[in-house]
Amino acid sequence: MMEIDRELLNAGEQALLAVMILIIMFGMGASLTPRDFREALRRPKGMAIGFLSQFGLMPLIALGLAFLLRLPPPQAIALVLVGCLPGGTTSNMFAYFARGSVALSISMTAASTLLALFFVPILLNLYASGFAARIDAVMLAEGAEGFVIPHVNIIVSLLLVLVPVGAGMVLRRVSPDWAKTAEDTAAFMGIVVILFLIGSVTFRHGGLFLQTPGTVYVAALGVSLAGFFFGYGFAALWRVEPRQQRAISLETGIQNTPIAFAVILLSFEEPLRSQMLWLPILYATSVVITSSVVTLYFRRIGRIDDEIYRNSRVHNRLFGAEYRTPYPEEAVPANLERHLSKIHATVVRREGRRGL
Amino acid sequence: METLRATGSHLAEMYARAAELYGDLPAFATRQERGRWTPVGFRRLFEDGRALATVLIELGVAAREHVGLLGDNRLEWILADYGVQLCGAADVPRGCDITDAEIEYILRHAGVRVTFVEDARLARRVNALRRQLPELREIILLDAEGSAPEGVRRLGDLVARGHDLRAAGDHNVEERMESIRPDDLFTLIYTSGTTGEPKGVMLTHANMMSQLENIRMDIRCTDRILSILPVWHVFERVFEMIAVSRGCCNYYTSPRHLADDLADVEPTFMGSAPRLWENLHQRILKRVRETHPVRQALFHTAYFLAHYYKESVFFLTRRQLQLRARGILRETGATLFHALRWFFLLPWYGFFNAAVLEKLRLVVGGAFKGSVSGGGALPREVDKFFNYLGIPVFEGYGLTETSPVVAVRTPAKLVVGTVGPLIPETDVRITDPDSGAVLYPDPACPHGGRGCRGEIEVRGPQVMKGYYKNPDATAAALRDGWFRTGDLGMMTFNDCLRIVGRLKETIVLSSGENLEPGPIEARLNQSPLIEHSIVVGQDRKFPAVLIVPTAEAMASADGKLRERIGSEIRARISGAAGFKAHEVVREFRLVPGPFRVGEELTNLQKLRRHVVTDKYRDLIESVYAREARPGKEAGS
Repeated sequence: MMEIDRELLNAGEQALLAVMILIIMFGMGASLTPRDFREALRRPKGMAIGFLSQFGLMPLIALGLAFLLRLPPPQAIALVLVGCLPGGTTSNMFAYFARGSVALSISMTAASTLLALFFVPILLNLYASGFAARIDAVMLAEGAEGFVIPHVNIIVSLLLVLVPVGAGMVLRRVSPDWAKTAEDTAAFMGIVVILFLIGSVTFRHGGLFLQTPGTVYVAALGVSLAGFFFGYGFAALWRVEPRQQRAISLETGIQNTPIAFAVILLSFEEPLRSQMLWLPILYATSVVITSSVVTLYFRRIGRIDDEIYRNSRVHNRLFGAEYRTPYPEEAVPANLERHLSKIHATVVRREGRRGL
Repeated sequence: METLRATGSHLAEMYARAAELYGDLPAFATRQERGRWTPVGFRRLFEDGRALATVLIELGVAAREHVGLLGDNRLEWILADYGVQLCGAADVPRGCDITDAEIEYILRHAGVRVTFVEDARLARRVNALRRQLPELREIILLDAEGSAPEGVRRLGDLVARGHDLRAAGDHNVEERMESIRPDDLFTLIYTSGTTGEPKGVMLTHANMMSQLENIRMDIRCTDRILSILPVWHVFERVFEMIAVSRGCCNYYTSPRHLADDLADVEPTFMGSAPRLWENLHQRILKRVRETHPVRQALFHTAYFLAHYYKESVFFLTRRQLQLRARGILRETGATLFHALRWFFLLPWYGFFNAAVLEKLRLVVGGAFKGSVSGGGALPREVDKFFNYLGIPVFEGYGLTETSPVVAVRTPAKLVVGTVGPLIPETDVRITDPDSGAVLYPDPACPHGGRGCRGEIEVRGPQVMKGYYKNPDATAAALRDGWFRTGDLGMMTFNDCLRIVGRLKETIVLSSGENLEPGPIEARLNQSPLIEHSIVVGQDRKFPAVLIVPTAEAMASADGKLRERIGSEIRARISGAAGFKAHEVVREFRLVPGPFRVGEELTNLQKLRRHVVTDKYRDLIESVYAREARPGKEAGS
């Protein structure tokens, strides 16, 4: 097992992390409106598949990786926790640049944040109990108190995390302009704090990078990549339109790590806390890179269908909801043709709402 | 996937092919009100155009005849053009701002017998000139609204009649189309007179088809082109023809609605002029100033990062302005520096690009891929601003006489400060304006003559046939297939064309208005206080004048020389003295020394403008340093 003789983060750094959680969740709230939650109900198929991918597929991927890499139990629990998290706000930004459906991404983020209240404890109980039992056995053998997953604390921390989200939504209602700024600043602060923590941890625990088993790095990097890959495949299997496939893929792989930090800080005791924190920190760093790479890839493969979608959308906005753009056969890739009527339906529904 | 393209040996064939390929895809869209537009499909446009051509033949329009087309951007303009091309004739286009004198000169000189006019007002003006235009027989009104004046036909009626004729088995159009040769004119464009009368530029189908072939923009049937420049300029027209050939829809907008239409249409491409970018630049900066300090700070950080990041990217991808040859050592050093800078800025740029710059880019709609800017030089600062921001502005170069594109930046050669590489099949040489010697390409010179300044001469399939009924002007401009542009330029070391100035005297303001410095200078030089004067203002918002005071004026200088010259200019160059508003010079600068023969002056005491504008660059820049506030009193 990885040895951390002192606490991974000192009191000051833990406080900084807590502030970061507050800011990021506040920024996330600032990007949401009540309509985003209602909208979630309007695309049942995309939402359902996204939901299955996020809360069905992703925790299994994390569990599978933990077994495959034979991670030590604390890191395994941390990895499963990362796998069970709802989607983060950055997924919306990446979906935008990946020519994915931003609306679906936002709806999924909003809905999964609420649903996390139920699903994170249930899924952790389901998948992490085995690892917890192993820790329990070791601790009892060492003469310490036993260990069970602190479900109540976890639910309380999930609830606490929703408070700044609500506050952010209030700001959005009062001043959309400031909300926009809060959203941008929050994302930036998030990156700065994570980089600072990594720097400061490296400084204080110089050997940590070398001590950390390679499998932990593989897990941190691999969980997002596997999430993107299987999320995409799963959505493609269900034949949702390509823009939604890309959104679901990114939503599956990009998790709301601040929630993991909150859960770990508020629910777990030392030394477990320090052993668990390192993996989500590594994940939070690496996911920026992996999702950037995947986004660039999606941008390329999604060019043609996105252009067709946007063009149809403009046509429906300007020429009326009934207008169907008669693309010549040669201009539409074969795999896209069956999506054309779906694209039209999506366009009309979205644009129609705004009142053409 | 292969991009679909309609081609042919002439425009009429291309129109027919586009109708087959794209069917009911929207070809042109007309704004009815904000957010409500009506489309017309390729097939419908072609069929209406063919009907119109049928009637034009019935009205007696012969093959290769010149048909007037006086109007601004609107669907009916294109429909009229379809009609003219399909009956094997050529059009003589001009905008509604044409003066009566120009109508008379152009219609007479081109021998126009049938002309289209935009609206009832213009129809009445042309009608009033009938006595001076004995050949003019038919006036056809484009506008469907308002009442047609006596003896004026309506476009809509003609199209309806044409459909009837076609239904009755009239197939004259097919015969006409067969007889069109690539060397036939498709248009005869009269350029605003530089000296003397306007000249009719003869452009052939082959000219236009070569442009469609050689302007390699990635435009396809899912793109949208917003059209704002006057379509009777060949620059805008080439873009509309590219759109037709690729199945892309043109959306007609106007300066008044531009901001709304950019948001509604989300164009992917547009032809543009420097003025548009200057205005957008101002608008963005204004918007930033109006936001609260946190957002301002975000913007400034983002632009700062984008500036240095993109500069390094441009360097590493060989897209920086390269006016001199570089040694291997400096090259390696610079490459290393830029590679490091790129690496360190990448994550920060990545974040700010996504969070801040993307929102600014929405000012041109959310789908913009790029714009070709032409018709004047883009101010360097504005050029950098948009290209660093991530809104690609492809500056191009050309003249009406070259159909018009000679060179244009491409994504791979987006070199700020140049007009990009030459388009395929095009040759350029740089000649010494005084001796005529070829400076580039010159194998004897180091680097083949790159970096040498001189007059730009062009040879290629886009060069005009000549000036209509003006062999002298044609002979002066075209020699052995080389067209003398009258512009000064050079080839950079990464083979992009850089425009340095003009040999020809006409000054084109950034508003697009032309002014002749000659008459203004002649009038100023009559003043006892002024020895020489030279008007500047190429690509600027307003003209200014450099003054060399006379020796007497200098001698009697009592500290009030500036004031006296200022009032002298005001008195001499005024509306009352017969100058147009945009010709009225207010700003001036005094030049320290006298002009010398062999330097600023030729042996014949004529001004060598390019020398003057080069030598007094800083002085001229000082006039425009405050360009945001034009119209200030002289010398203040």
